[in-house]
Amino acid sequence: MDSLDIVFTGFLISALRSATPLLLTLLGECLGQRTGVINLGAEGQMLVGAMAGYGATAAFGNPWVGLLAGAGAGVALSAVHALLVVGAQANQFASGLAVWMLGFGLSAYFGAALVGQQVTAFDSIDVGAAAQWPVIGSVIAGMTPTVLLALLLVPVIGLWFYRTRTGLRWRAVGESPAAARAAGVSPATVQIQAVLVGGLLSGLGGAALSVDYTRTWAEGMSAGRGLVAVGLVIVARWNPWWTLPAALLFGGAEALSLRLQTADTPISAQLLHILPYLVSLVVLTLTCLRRSDSGTPAGLKAVMDR
Amino acid sequence: MRDLMLSGPGRVVGTTLAVLMLTGAFFLAIGRDPVELMGLIVRSAAGDGYAITESLVRATPILLCALATALPARLGLITVGAEGQLYFGALLGTGFVLANLGATSAAPYMAMIVVAMLAGAAWALLPAVLRSHLGVNETISTLLVNYVAALLVTWVVYGPWKSAANLGWPATADFPEAFKPSTFFDSRVHSGLWIAIGLAVLLHWTFVRTRWGLTLDVLRSNPRAGIAAGLNWRRNVLLTMALGGMLAGLAGILETASIQGRLQANLSAGAGLSGFLVAWLARNHCLRIIPMSLLVGALLASGDGLQMFANVPSSIALVVQGLLFVAVLLVGGYANRLQVRRG
Repeated sequence: MDSLDIVFTGFLISALRSATPLLLTLLGECLGQRTGVINLGAEGQMLVGAMAGYGATAAFGNPWVGLLAGAGAGVALSAVHALLVVGAQANQFASGLAVWMLGFGLSAYFGAALVGQQVTAFDSIDVGAAAQWPVIGSVIAGMTPTVLLALLLVPVIGLWFYRTRTGLRWRAVGESPAAARAAGVSPATVQIQAVLVGGLLSGLGGAALSVDYTRTWAEGMSAGRGLVAVGLVIVARWNPWWTLPAALLFGGAEALSLRLQTADTPISAQLLHILPYLVSLVVLTLTCLRRSDSGTPAGLKAVMDR
Repeated sequence: MRDLMLSGPGRVVGTTLAVLMLTGAFFLAIGRDPVELMGLIVRSAAGDGYAITESLVRATPILLCALATALPARLGLITVGAEGQLYFGALLGTGFVLANLGATSAAPYMAMIVVAMLAGAAWALLPAVLRSHLGVNETISTLLVNYVAALLVTWVVYGPWKSAANLGWPATADFPEAFKPSTFFDSRVHSGLWIAIGLAVLLHWTFVRTRWGLTLDVLRSNPRAGIAAGLNWRRNVLLTMALGGMLAGLAGILETASIQGRLQANLSAGAGLSGFLVAWLARNHCLRIIPMSLLVGALLASGDGLQMFANVPSSIALVVQGLLFVAVLLVGGYANRLQVRRG
């Protein structure tokens, strides 16, 4: 393998690792928006997921328990969004911000005791012969369990969403609640389920961030990933399959900024941290520039455009 | 009962009860006596002269950020960009100060304020143009540019503007006295508070009494009719967001010049998002924004007191702030539903 290959696969692995927490959150947010619910609270759900996941890993010494705890915390917090948006029919943007604010506060409060604690890492996965495959072999060997989990969830959710009856019901609710109701589907029930699944995935994403990616807990550590996810759903055209490339845009930008920092570039580290947010904003703008409404769930247009 | 739920006072009482119940339940869940802890919050926020002035200090940037949110909201826009505009105003305002360190007269002080306000406006214009001309959702874009502005400030205080006099602490050089707003007696309450209250009254008058206020009301409640009648929606998106940006930029430079005395990272302490909550609590009514920002400012200021005297992490104030937001949406949402059902 020549050195260019090593640089490329190294970059791909770090992009994948950085994209993983975002990808999980993005998948959840995508499902929610397809049923007509936008949730900025994904940011707060990631934070409680990261905090609970880190705390549980530190307490039980098992990162898998941490992932479970993170997912559970995400579900619990997303129930607040479901209550406010589906129950009280509050404004979705405001409700999401409230959930973010609450999640930030709760994770800071309960996470105060976790600062400086150590956690057990995942065992590396034994990929066997796959590690010897040309080019992608070293990418596969460099994967952690959360990366693999996120990558597997993309086709699972993609197929479920487009090939099953439940998936069809969810899509119907997003396109036309009235038609769904006429077909005997309760939009409220589906939206509540979608918000809770979104909570589960963003909580999982948060736990992947603290338990596997950074392996620390810090207040506000998701640093806008949940909010970026809300924007990248638009870039992915509300299609679960497209969440992977969308997440890789952010992950790639972050990997690039880390790469440039270690390569002794004259650009400062703090300035390079801006790159992922800038990339997200630029692709979001380019997506909107195309002006094609294809893919926007009809039920979401009313929320987004007002 | 239904009429009571729909009235303004009814909503206030309902929201107050809801937030007390949610907060009480949370305090019980963490094993604290709710009555005792709520009493401590009130005492830490307003128990003595020092507590009251600290609450006012905390409320000042929140008040300006709430106004910065309410302005575009008069047009129906949901912006969360005050945080970034605050940072960018502080950034360019500080740049001006660092270029004029030897100044003694009042003219550079005013120029610093103007630079910061223009910077805030410029930062707001980016998502404003994206919204008005390209249709990019303003809530999402303002949230993304917030991170960019905050990171720019982090960059300058760690890098080019870092002062060696701070012994390694990432911050710029101290502002000279000429650039510090006058303070109220010997507290940290600065002239920004009166300016912010004055601006709130002025904005209220503008919205209620002027032709432009009416224009915004028409464009908000029925954009199509407004545009058909010759009103310019795009221009008003740019105008309201830029004016809002000016107020948030002002909050940024006042906080930097008066409270911190130099530019540091994390200077906003969440004032932008708290301002959004306040604007929502006040339903974008600029006079109501004044007491609401004092309330939220006092709540957040109480966090420090709690940490010191009750050994509770100060972030408990953030939890209560989040519960307050949840309560207002819950009560407001159900009240609106009742209203719709009655037609």
